[in-house]
Amino acid sequence: MVKGKRKPLKQITAAIKKYKKVLNIGCGGCVSVCLAGGQKEVLALNTELNISFKFDKASTRCDGVTVERQCNMKFLVELDEIVEGYDCLLSMACGAGVQLLAERFPHLPVFPAINTVSIGVDRDIGVYEERCRACGECVIGFTGGICPVARCAKGLFNGPCGGVSNGKCETNSDISCAWVDIFNRLKVQDRLDEIIRIQQPMEWQNQKQRTTIQEPYEKRYYRK
Amino acid sequence: MIKKMLGRHKAKMKLSLRICVHCGLCAESCFLYMTRGKKPEYMPSHKIINSIGKLYKKRGKVDTALLEEVKDIAWKKCVLCTRCYCPFGIDIPEMIALARRVCRSQNILPDFDKA
Repeated sequence: MVKGKRKPLKQITAAIKKYKKVLNIGCGGCVSVCLAGGQKEVLALNTELNISFKFDKASTRCDGVTVERQCNMKFLVELDEIVEGYDCLLSMACGAGVQLLAERFPHLPVFPAINTVSIGVDRDIGVYEERCRACGECVIGFTGGICPVARCAKGLFNGPCGGVSNGKCETNSDISCAWVDIFNRLKVQDRLDEIIRIQQPMEWQNQKQRTTIQEPYEKRYYRK
Repeated sequence: MIKKMLGRHKAKMKLSLRICVHCGLCAESCFLYMTRGKKPEYMPSHKIINSIGKLYKKRGKVDTALLEEVKDIAWKKCVLCTRCYCPFGIDIPEMIALARRVCRSQNILPDFDKA
């Protein structure tokens, strides 16, 4: 799932302090699960913001509402009546949600309250590890289920760099080298031959905006 | 508060609950129903009747126990993937989203921060 982390309070207050009435909109999807932008987090942030503005004798006040998902227009319809009277919107959704919200209400400034960090796995409550960068060209079938794009600091496709030391990455000695892990896992599975052949350079499809249309629906959406 | 929330969507709730003929077509479009051994409680129509249906019937005069029950249906038995299909055009996700909104208004939420 998408993982996010709340922006520092100062950064948020700096963005919205010139507006008087702010609506903070939470998202009940991924960011709710990763404890970054759900209803509880909206309440907590609003309390912090309102105290901070009161302390600074600023007239800005924040209200909150949480929709089920900000990345689906269907769930943004309910906001049409609510946003009236607000000077700006603060979104606690991921980057996709913030952008759809801005598309829904083009007359209002929309500010993100969280940084979208990664597509990751849950290690513990509040602890998430990045596992995917949505590059659009999945190779983990050949790398023992370990992604060289997300796990390797250099995103190398054909073995480790020279910086590996005792199985650790040169960028951080707490992080194990993705390629050492790949080697060890494939060795256990007796599949080392799969990483011997040279992988072609990837097309980096995530460098341009992509729209995903599943195969059964292609006829419906593609123009002939 | 709940009464007010439900009042705003009364017509849609009433229509949705009335036109459901229990044909079961929505069930086959629900991946949770299909992957959970086709248990009836995962049928979208069952979810609506036991969440929004109950809230509507009680006209918003509900206790925490019922809201907890609704929470269980609206969050644990539905992920709001919006893939459910109704031949009569009942907007099932909208109804489940409304049930969630009612729970949210009373601060009855899933605990993602509990193990």
